[in-house]
Amino acid sequence: MNVFAGVGGGSAATDAAPAVGTGKALLELTPHKIAVCHLVQVFAPPAQAGGDVVPPFPFESLAHHNRLGLFLFTLTRSCEDFLEPPLEEFLRQLKAVDDLTNGWFCEQLTSTLSALNSPDDLFNFFDKLRGVLTAPEGASAEDIFLDPNSQLGVFLRCCILAFNSMTFEGVCHLLADIVMYCNSTDASYDMAEDENFNNEVGSMMDADIGSQADMFDKYHRGFSSGSHMGESSSALTRAPMLPYDSDDANTSKADDNPTCLRSRWQLEAYLNQQADILEKDPSSVPLNSFNATMTKLRTLAPELHRVQFLQYLNALCHDDYVTSVDNLHRYFDYSAGMQGLFGRSVSPVQDIVVGKYESALLCLGNLHCYFGHPKKALEAFAEAVRVSQMNNDDSCLAYVLGAISNLLSKIGMSNTVGIISSPYSIGTNIGLGTPLSIQQQLLVLLKRSLKRADMLKLPSLLSFDHLSLAKFDLKHVQRPLVSFGPNASTKLRTCPVDVCKNLRLSSRVLTDFGTDVLSTSNDNGSFSTSWLRNLSAATGSWRSSSVKSTKLHNNDFDNFHYHAQPCPVPAPVLQLAGSACLLRATAWEHYGSAPMVRMNALVYATCFADASSSSEMSLAYVKLIQQLAVFKGYSAAFCALKLAEKKFPSSTSSHIQLLRMQILHERALHRGHLKIAQQICDEFGVLSSSVCGVDIELKTEASAAAVANSLFSTCYKYNLQVENASVLLLLAEIYKKSDNAVLGLPYALASQSFCKSFNLDLLEASATLTLAELWLALGSSHAKRALSLVYQCLPMILGHGGLELRARAHITLAKCHLSDPKFSVPEDPEAVLDPLNQATEDLQVLEYHDMAAEAYYLKAMAYNHLGKLDEREEAAACFKEHITALEKPHNEEDSLVY
Amino acid sequence: MASGKETYRAELRAAARQLGERCLYSAAKWAAELLVGVEPDAAPALSCAMDPPSSSSATPAGRLLHMHRSGGSSFRPRPRPGGGGGSEAGTPLGGVSYVSTPIPDDDAFDSGGDKYLLAKTYFDCREYRRAAHVLQNQVGRKAVFLRCYALYMAGEKRKEAEMIELEGSLGKSNAVNEELVALERELSTHRRTGSIDSFGLYLYGIVLRDKGCEGLARTILVESVNSYPWNWSAWSELQSLCTSSDILNSLNLKNHWMKDFFLASAYLELKMHEEALKRYERLVGVFRCSGYIQAQIATVQYSMRDLDEAEMIFEELLRTDPFRVDSMDVYSNLLYAKESLTALSFLAHRVFLTDKYRPESCCIIANYYSLKGLHEKSVLYFQRALKLNRKYLSAWTLMGHEYVELKNTPAAIDAYRRAVDINPRDFRAWYGLGQIYEMMGMPFYALYYFRKSSHLQPDDARLWIAMAQCYESDQLQMIEEAIKCYERAEKSNDTEGIALHQLAKLHSMLGQSEKAAFYYKKDLERMEIEERQGQNFVEALLFLAKHYRSIGRFEEAEHYCTRLLDYTGPEKETAKNMLQSIKRLQSGFPSMDIDNFSL
Repeated sequence: MNVFAGVGGGSAATDAAPAVGTGKALLELTPHKIAVCHLVQVFAPPAQAGGDVVPPFPFESLAHHNRLGLFLFTLTRSCEDFLEPPLEEFLRQLKAVDDLTNGWFCEQLTSTLSALNSPDDLFNFFDKLRGVLTAPEGASAEDIFLDPNSQLGVFLRCCILAFNSMTFEGVCHLLADIVMYCNSTDASYDMAEDENFNNEVGSMMDADIGSQADMFDKYHRGFSSGSHMGESSSALTRAPMLPYDSDDANTSKADDNPTCLRSRWQLEAYLNQQADILEKDPSSVPLNSFNATMTKLRTLAPELHRVQFLQYLNALCHDDYVTSVDNLHRYFDYSAGMQGLFGRSVSPVQDIVVGKYESALLCLGNLHCYFGHPKKALEAFAEAVRVSQMNNDDSCLAYVLGAISNLLSKIGMSNTVGIISSPYSIGTNIGLGTPLSIQQQLLVLLKRSLKRADMLKLPSLLSFDHLSLAKFDLKHVQRPLVSFGPNASTKLRTCPVDVCKNLRLSSRVLTDFGTDVLSTSNDNGSFSTSWLRNLSAATGSWRSSSVKSTKLHNNDFDNFHYHAQPCPVPAPVLQLAGSACLLRATAWEHYGSAPMVRMNALVYATCFADASSSSEMSLAYVKLIQQLAVFKGYSAAFCALKLAEKKFPSSTSSHIQLLRMQILHERALHRGHLKIAQQICDEFGVLSSSVCGVDIELKTEASAAAVANSLFSTCYKYNLQVENASVLLLLAEIYKKSDNAVLGLPYALASQSFCKSFNLDLLEASATLTLAELWLALGSSHAKRALSLVYQCLPMILGHGGLELRARAHITLAKCHLSDPKFSVPEDPEAVLDPLNQATEDLQVLEYHDMAAEAYYLKAMAYNHLGKLDEREEAAACFKEHITALEKPHNEEDSLVY
Repeated sequence: MASGKETYRAELRAAARQLGERCLYSAAKWAAELLVGVEPDAAPALSCAMDPPSSSSATPAGRLLHMHRSGGSSFRPRPRPGGGGGSEAGTPLGGVSYVSTPIPDDDAFDSGGDKYLLAKTYFDCREYRRAAHVLQNQVGRKAVFLRCYALYMAGEKRKEAEMIELEGSLGKSNAVNEELVALERELSTHRRTGSIDSFGLYLYGIVLRDKGCEGLARTILVESVNSYPWNWSAWSELQSLCTSSDILNSLNLKNHWMKDFFLASAYLELKMHEEALKRYERLVGVFRCSGYIQAQIATVQYSMRDLDEAEMIFEELLRTDPFRVDSMDVYSNLLYAKESLTALSFLAHRVFLTDKYRPESCCIIANYYSLKGLHEKSVLYFQRALKLNRKYLSAWTLMGHEYVELKNTPAAIDAYRRAVDINPRDFRAWYGLGQIYEMMGMPFYALYYFRKSSHLQPDDARLWIAMAQCYESDQLQMIEEAIKCYERAEKSNDTEGIALHQLAKLHSMLGQSEKAAFYYKKDLERMEIEERQGQNFVEALLFLAKHYRSIGRFEEAEHYCTRLLDYTGPEKETAKNMLQSIKRLQSGFPSMDIDNFSL
């Protein structure tokens, strides 16, 4: 019993040392493994005295031989399920490999298995097996024999060892299992063989034990009658009184197939795979059926505590707070955090069992963070910091610091002050007497985490920290920590170079460490799994369970995934590299380069689709669709949105939902459907308030639709400097709309300066444009200044701006010219007409009636000046059309559909 | 009255015989014990004290112990208030009219009578499969039952063996009773055709329970006890399936007097102690000499922390039944709580001699070692107890305590956790988990466990105090939450008075001196009633004195100062100074209001 492990003598094999402990723990012999052993024997027959034929007897060619070898290799590595396949399934797979010899392998295998009838047969079987491993006398290097250190060799040796350390009872059980294993073959498989099997059995047994059921009974009864003296009081007197512990056993052994677990290695690979699936696509894993699977596994392997962790992950992915907390605590109570959480490998055996409960706190903090309880999360993290400092767990400390900085950057900063600055917290540990602002604390935390990760060689954390630093640099002005005295140079600008540097470092780190640290976790059995799955797909016999797994890979990369070589880069690395790419897209979005955004998002969507989590993937899609909406108009965007929604069911992805609302809202505004816009705004507000309390950015977006002024104060409160700029711009626009240009000017100017200091080029351009519009509104005397402003921002806008922005710039340009008293239209008609034509085209796509009407109006005016009456009439007609469309929204109801 | 008792006797006599014939040993034992436990009639020939229920002759050792311990105990089974219903004619217990259930006639030894006899002897020798084989092709209900039961037992035995044989590196395999499927098939057919008796239903119930069909198992067991109420095993199986009072209340049970036993024991399990005690006290009116009822009453009283009363009952119980092991583990827990080493060692010695391979015996010995401070040995015996019964709940929890003493936190957490997983309503284990995590410096993490335990036992002040201490700890410093918890603890009868003191302290820390004074005063009153004095007492006096002086109520302040003078230490000097200053203030400024401002 495991509880007693590590106590006192600590003789039993502990949890922490499953694979390296006693030989018995390596694997348990099952009928399936015996079958594989037999095939290995066929693959590499014991060397005969005579000369060896190069492909041994049944094989037609070397390729054929290798194919079987590959098949056997994948069998020992695959992790599709936690149970071993029944004989039927196994034979089917074998047939797919063995199409050349007409099922010789299958026949041979079944006959060998059914010939194992007594314990002595098993002993002989393993004796023969030993011959496979020993090189024959005088063998040369070219001879075919199995290398004892190869994968198959090790497997064989483990099996032999397991058999040698088996008790007689164990051998009897194995025999009974083999009989069941053989019987589980569907009768439809091959009648002749079945009969043959029966006959053989019959001949071996006494005549009166005819049926298989009786034979099975024999194994079970064989040695039970002798033991009645030993069971003194317990069985008899208590049996009716006490509940035996078979309450939970009802799920197992439902059918007559023995439920045999795969080897421990395969089980862990299976669990890792499931965890990946949960992260990648939680919607594809139904909560209850997954739980049922895990419960089944738990009854079969009660000491494999990782299962509980998966149950926790499952509950987390399905937003089940209570269950996830319960499972989290249960997992750590049982495993004491020792079943390798980081790096996913089994942690080395320790002399003293202490437990790593700090990682429990780390998980708890992440859980609270996920469910939107930043305060509780911070408490948990603070405790994790304390405990890991106490227990000298540096790597955990580094992770916790990373998690804290992640949390800090996520939540609004103002409400954390109370917690962070309490005396025990992290802020004061740095040794600076002065209280630091939250951003500075965040920066300090990040740097500490970075340093630690570098020291401890934790590449993924290092890369993550670089990413967070880049994120930080993107949004914040780095000030020197100690800014006393006059000579502290204060260059108050964000530093794009830093962002780039960190982004690059983040991916660089991964490649640097890749070779030594990460490669250990490289072979995770997924290749073997997919190889086997492919095999069964090729033979056209899908098992019902594998239908589930196809759904997971249901993206465009199916083919890529199935037929390619195993991916040389482990998934976690790929994922981090992917987020770097995504962050680069965001950075370009901020700095205002649309093509770069598009490119990076596309790269992400194509290259990192396999390894990405669903939320990041949806983010990339959102970026792409936004680009489409801005540059290609709404119809294209909605087409894409439909595709995206099919991929991410709206219940799981708030990103997509927000995007839909945003686009609908904009379109409604443009078409002049104010009621609908209002309605969408309300939905927006509901969505953002309920879904995640953490995400302040959502809140700002939501209230943006409501009141800009309160918005600004919100932004100011939460120190979202970047959002400040856009909100200021919004304010300026509001004043512009209400013909209050004088009031609007200061906001526009402020916004412009904000943009400058944060390097938000595109936003700056649009601020400049607004400024120009405001000047223009002040009267024709300012037209000159406005014109120069427009010219100043035009290159940026034409290069990177969206349709609307470009149209606005064109119109403003035309307006400047028209209102300039010194400018006469007939002299230079192109200067006015060109931009206007451009603008009307763009606006047509956008369905922006308001501005389109304005453009047509200007156009008509220009033609009027030129005296071109036909064109003027045409423009005027268009103008009228747009105005009526704006005033009488004829199809309001279809605004919500797309 | 006598006739009422005579019916009980007749019923129980028949039941013990019938159950015994069907090899339902423990139920037969229970019935026989109860039979002897019926209060003897006025006829002086039978005295219950002279006739210990289960052992026919008292051994010298038992007598010796009897002599030895009789001096201290004055326990007499006295009629309890509300329990006197037994002596009233007509309606036996508490005015409830019972449905009389006819005692079924046994199948007469039909054609297969001899074979049945053979099968029963095989069964008695634990040759289950042989017994089942002999009864093949027998169609009498009795024979069918015994065959099925023998098969079930054979399967159980095999399962036990397999559980050890199949233990792999990933833990115990869940061996399953192989006979369950066939048994269920057969028994359900019998039930459908109506050719099943109540014993068959009982077996069907267990089979269903083992297969995990708990709902159906409950229905079947209810059917069984309704048609044959004297099978205590069926009742206790039913009880183990009633995990909440809702389920208990939804059962459709006939009103037989055995139902009272069932309900009482179910209430005890569901921690509804008052109700359980009431029922047992009513039952004891009739079954005055029943050891079972006495033990159950003692258990209830122990759970209600009425240790003295419980101890008295247990002592008496041991005197009349010296070789009893059942529920002696409760007695050992009680002795442990009372720290009576010698009594515990006596008990341990006695059960060891009686039957050392009982989980209860191991638990008692472990308790003894634990009290001695030999925690390694204690753990050893708890492990043995758990080997004998893996679902022995209290052993897991107690072993957790031992590991805590040994500073082996992971093992302790593991042990507690197993207890919790066996029975999620075990608040002690949750509390233990919380304590460990708190000890490890993880108060925030520990809160989850304390919350769980106080959710299960909301009226236990200790749990609320533990939670409050977490909130109050240096790391968390969530004073408001701590105050809330202490308030809750204070409301739920905090005997040690920690809550009051802490409340006062925390309020004074927060500068809410009005509230602090209120709690200090309350605390003072409590200490005065309990006649306890100490540092807390002085602290309260000092605070009150200062407080009243600062708000200008000099008379009260003077009162507390003078009381402080009774104590030595620095406080005495402070009190003296304060008295002087008060005097000065009073003489200098006759008006109270001005004082108030001047301070």
